[in-house]
Amino acid sequence: MAPSENIVSLRDVSVRYGRLLALEGVTIDIPCGSLTAVLGANGAGKSTLLRAILGWMPLAAGEIRIGDAHPQHALPRLAYLPQRHAIDWDFPITVRAVVEQGRYPALRPWQRLGRRDREGVDRALAELDLGPVADRQIRRLSGGQQQRVFLARALAQGADIFLLDEPFAGLDLFATEELTHIFRSWEEQGRTVLAAVHDLHLAGRVFSRGLLLDRSLVAAGPLAAVLTEANIDRAFRTGHCVHAD
Amino acid sequence: MLIVFSDFFLSPFRYAFMQHGLLSALLLSLSGGLLGCVLVLRRLALMGDALSHSLLPGIGVAWLLFGPSTPALFAGALFAGLLTALGSALLSRLTRVKEDASFGSLFIIFFGAGVALLSRLPTRLNLSHFLFGSILGVSAADLKLAAATSGLTLLAFLGGYRSILLETFDPVFHRAIGGRGGLVHVGVLALTVLNLVAALQTMGVVLGLGLFLLPAVTAYLWCDHFGRMLGLSVALAMAGSVAGILLSYHAGLASGASIVLCLGAFFLLSALFSPSHGAAGKFIGWVRDRRHASHFT
Repeated sequence: MAPSENIVSLRDVSVRYGRLLALEGVTIDIPCGSLTAVLGANGAGKSTLLRAILGWMPLAAGEIRIGDAHPQHALPRLAYLPQRHAIDWDFPITVRAVVEQGRYPALRPWQRLGRRDREGVDRALAELDLGPVADRQIRRLSGGQQQRVFLARALAQGADIFLLDEPFAGLDLFATEELTHIFRSWEEQGRTVLAAVHDLHLAGRVFSRGLLLDRSLVAAGPLAAVLTEANIDRAFRTGHCVHAD
Repeated sequence: MLIVFSDFFLSPFRYAFMQHGLLSALLLSLSGGLLGCVLVLRRLALMGDALSHSLLPGIGVAWLLFGPSTPALFAGALFAGLLTALGSALLSRLTRVKEDASFGSLFIIFFGAGVALLSRLPTRLNLSHFLFGSILGVSAADLKLAAATSGLTLLAFLGGYRSILLETFDPVFHRAIGGRGGLVHVGVLALTVLNLVAALQTMGVVLGLGLFLLPAVTAYLWCDHFGRMLGLSVALAMAGSVAGILLSYHAGLASGASIVLCLGAFFLLSALFSPSHGAAGKFIGWVRDRRHASHFT
């Protein structure tokens, strides 16, 4: 599916951490069904941008609009995938139990998973090839499988927009290729992915679009047009110490 | 044979004080076993330890103000525990000191103040009674408090199981789906303080946390499923309580210490012999890997 409407639009968005300006006057449009890399140096505001879209950061200025004219996208669901180091891999939990968490928002606290919920979980497990390891504890998986568990949870959530924080960090070559393949197939299916990525070379291989941040927006659009020498020089020349991305 | 069994296991419970002690320990095993899992998985075990020590000055102040009234002593302990939790949260947010260090500093100040206060009390009350507990003195009021605390904790876990699981496993996701993480965190801390206060009579401030942490950390060595870990932790806490009370009766030991020793034995045996997460299992895996590797060299 070719990207058409913009499913996320930011207009003149600024975000502050106390007195420090983490994002300044950012205006961008994310087309529906696009695969977009959020690029920039440490402290350039990559994670802050994702958090602002999730509604976790109060905006100092500007507005963020989520959704487009498509009837199913009036209130699109957002899924956030944490960084790998934020997860306790020794936690006593199986792959299936993590993916089931994606159904929790649709259930009352005491309500058990119904047939449709279980089918959704099974579909997400099957799509990401996790069926054979569904009953394994999450430590007993390869790096790629561990990353796919959280993608499957987002699928089970029925998300339309996937916000990922450094999804390739700590993955070996094989797992990186695997994840690349998943993102490409999602792009073909019209799913919107927005991922903070620090590796420009990797971003160039995987993503079709990019937005380069230096607290303010340096460039946005097709990746080849974003990653020019002049833009990279502008985004990475200055050091930052706003917060660890 | 039957007589020996009856003498050893049943005869101690002919006495009302032993029945009270057992019931109190079983009730607290239920809530302690549940809460302990959250403390262990959220790496709050040492914080719980600090919290338990900080109850002491509350008891001392309450005694000075109101005399030996059980409700006043428990209210004092509860107040001191909440003050430590709140104080350290404020210290870590308002100063450069991190939360573990602020907890560590506050609890030792509170504990020192508690020992000083209790040693100056104009009574023949034994300080060790509050430090290590005494099963002989479990009154009907203590039992009611234990039942209420245990019931409240069980209700919180039944009603908030998914929130507790998500907040313990992935607080960021919990927040992303609209969960109230702060409420779960504060709720767990408040229930911990309440349970420590309720365990005061049977286990004492120093040993009370043993009933929470030891079964939970033992269950952690056996389970790969959160729900099963909760269940095993409660079962171990109950088994350890019964074994500990019997040991206490037959060997003439302090009840809190006996319970902690039994639970400690479960933990040490599991740490050594749990096939998947214990030291022996890891050692066997290491030897197997080395042998496997030597075939290729």
